[in-house]
Amino acid sequence: MELKTFRGGIHPPYQKEATAANWTEDISLPAEVVIPMQQHVGAPNSPTVNVGDRVDAGQKIGSSEAFISAPVHASVSGTVKAIEGRSNFTGAQVQSVVIEVDPSQPPKWAEKKDTGSLSAEQIRDVAKEAGLVGLGGAAFPTFVKLSPPADKRIDTVIINGCECEPFLTCDHRLMLERADDLIGGLKLMMRAVGADKGIIGVEANKMDAADALTAKLGGDSSIEVVPLEVKYPEGAEKMLIDAVTGRRVPPGKLPSEVGVLVQNVQTAVALHDAASTGKPVIDRVITVTGRGIKEPKNVLVKVGTPISHVIDQCGGFAGTPGKVIMGGPMTGWAQKDLSAAVVKGTSGILVLGKDEVDYGAERQCVGCDKCIDACPMFLMPNFIVKYTKRGKYDEANRFGAQDCFECGCCAYVCPSRISHVAYVRKAKAELAAAEKK
Amino acid sequence: MANHDLVVTAPPHIKGKDMVSTGMRDVAIALIPLIVMSLVFFRLYALVNLVAAVATALACEYVMRKLMGREPTLGDYSAVVTGLLLALVLPPTVPFWWVMIGVIIAVAIVKELMGGLGVNLFNPALFGFVSLIIISRVFGPIKLGYSLGGINGVTSATPLTFIKGGVLSGLRPGYWNLFLAHGGGALGEVSVLAVLVGAAYLLYKGHITWHIPASIIGTVFVLSAILGENPLYMILAGGVMLGSFFMATDWVTSPDTKLGQVIYGILIGVLIVVIRLYAAPTGAVAYSILIGNAVTPLLNRVLAIKRFGAVKSVT
Repeated sequence: MELKTFRGGIHPPYQKEATAANWTEDISLPAEVVIPMQQHVGAPNSPTVNVGDRVDAGQKIGSSEAFISAPVHASVSGTVKAIEGRSNFTGAQVQSVVIEVDPSQPPKWAEKKDTGSLSAEQIRDVAKEAGLVGLGGAAFPTFVKLSPPADKRIDTVIINGCECEPFLTCDHRLMLERADDLIGGLKLMMRAVGADKGIIGVEANKMDAADALTAKLGGDSSIEVVPLEVKYPEGAEKMLIDAVTGRRVPPGKLPSEVGVLVQNVQTAVALHDAASTGKPVIDRVITVTGRGIKEPKNVLVKVGTPISHVIDQCGGFAGTPGKVIMGGPMTGWAQKDLSAAVVKGTSGILVLGKDEVDYGAERQCVGCDKCIDACPMFLMPNFIVKYTKRGKYDEANRFGAQDCFECGCCAYVCPSRISHVAYVRKAKAELAAAEKK
Repeated sequence: MANHDLVVTAPPHIKGKDMVSTGMRDVAIALIPLIVMSLVFFRLYALVNLVAAVATALACEYVMRKLMGREPTLGDYSAVVTGLLLALVLPPTVPFWWVMIGVIIAVAIVKELMGGLGVNLFNPALFGFVSLIIISRVFGPIKLGYSLGGINGVTSATPLTFIKGGVLSGLRPGYWNLFLAHGGGALGEVSVLAVLVGAAYLLYKGHITWHIPASIIGTVFVLSAILGENPLYMILAGGVMLGSFFMATDWVTSPDTKLGQVIYGILIGVLIVVIRLYAAPTGAVAYSILIGNAVTPLLNRVLAIKRFGAVKSVT
């Protein structure tokens, strides 16, 4: 059978073997956690606690009146040590609540209650109160996505189980280890938006997960597991919708335009946790891997844990690290030090060796067109770069700067080692600045 | 924790294997069957010209980049490819110093003075070749001869001679000769099969796509048939195959969109037939591709790709 997919894209080496087969592990708690007031797309939160306050794990410590926002919670029980600006994983200064962790943490959220009676409205409330955001990395507030505009009918909810980023396996593990909660979360989402159909899209390199989910579903015909071609970026929202349903979301529009809602595996699991136990988003599974890590594994980490602590818990560095990346290798953020904290949208910590990060110097574009063939959005990345270099941002946009979602396929295939994504970001920033004037 | 001197750059943090150097190296590899065939047929003549061309190209690029204060790029194989291609489009009877002049024009003027690989408007090897044709016409003494007879009886007339006229049509080589091996014309015209083997390698490696060669060859075939010429002979004889797969597909000087590439291919195909039939057969492929090169920036400007999910293309 030919697997479903989209047009364009690339086949990087997937390098998932180091962590794909191992059960997710817990790690010890750090001495302190740093909880940024903004971990999502939208308005930042204001702290609702003061320095010196005692906080309980799961207690809300930051909230906002804005519609597009998501509250944050204390991920551990402890004492608020400071409320100050800290560098987050992008290097930006973000107001953060620093909590000194108590030595003993009482167990919580052990009891599960049935979620079958929750109404659509109640499910949205659960998502909002839990501070749930897209845990695949985009970190868009989930309850906003669960509240589509009245004129758009959603008929299908797709769970993104592609995990198309090389190296990462946390979604793969969750599909295997928490299949029931994943299916439960998907059903809640379907109910929240009134969709009849649920689809779990899984890349064909994770057939064990696809089979496990199919087995769990039994005869449930409302949910289907769809295997997809192994290709990056299969899990990008628009690509996934195209691959699974054949519908293409128009430029500048949201998936609701074509009657679809897409959510990540971990988001569905977290929604089910929040609905059944009341547990907000205070921890998540991340993949810690790469040649520069001694013991690559998937770990359950409290939000706010510094990268350095996570790396220590995975045996520390193997050799001299060249690059420490928060997220996957295609879209993640390179860190200048190890102080940034794991946030809700962190999917992994990848450590590349010194010899893996010498890409060769950027040179003049030679017009090979490989970037155009690779672009899943059918843009012309070479021209975006050309005009951005000249400061002609409107021209850059004519070739698609603002439609680019920065998957990095162009830069991956470029024989001239051009960093297209950096130019696209520059063009977007300049275009946004020009619009404000 | 100790400072590890971490590298911080924009994503992606992994890159594909293709570099400009590996791409150009693959083009050189793809030319090996053709080079071998030309050596079999023309022996020392081919060897001297090929070596002179590549050595001159490398030396010329090195000197030019030094003079212009640019980083050396000898390792990217681009000069090697230019040298090889120029030697291949010339007949074996051309003296080696004449080949060297062509290479100097190609590398020093067409490539480096225009700003280096990537900025050049024209295919350097073809521009060098056409310059030689023009110079030979202006300065009579040097005959860029496609003479009948020739080297040790191996060389025969360029098959292109038989396209027009028809008086000699009984002497023209057969299809199988042209396809497998035939000692007329330029070094690179000895064997269509050798060209196709190299082309298959480039297609397999993903460095070229079918769009440009298929549109050129298809157009030449169909248009020749319409105009009452022998279509098979038109595509097998002369430089149509070499030009379509190795020259017109040049990364730098060909259009960037698939639609642009097809239009460019059709344009080149039409020009090849028209120039061959109504002007001079020698150099028809080269002239046509250079005109195609000149139109490329326009094609890149006016043809937009239909965006993902868009109803119609936005320009």
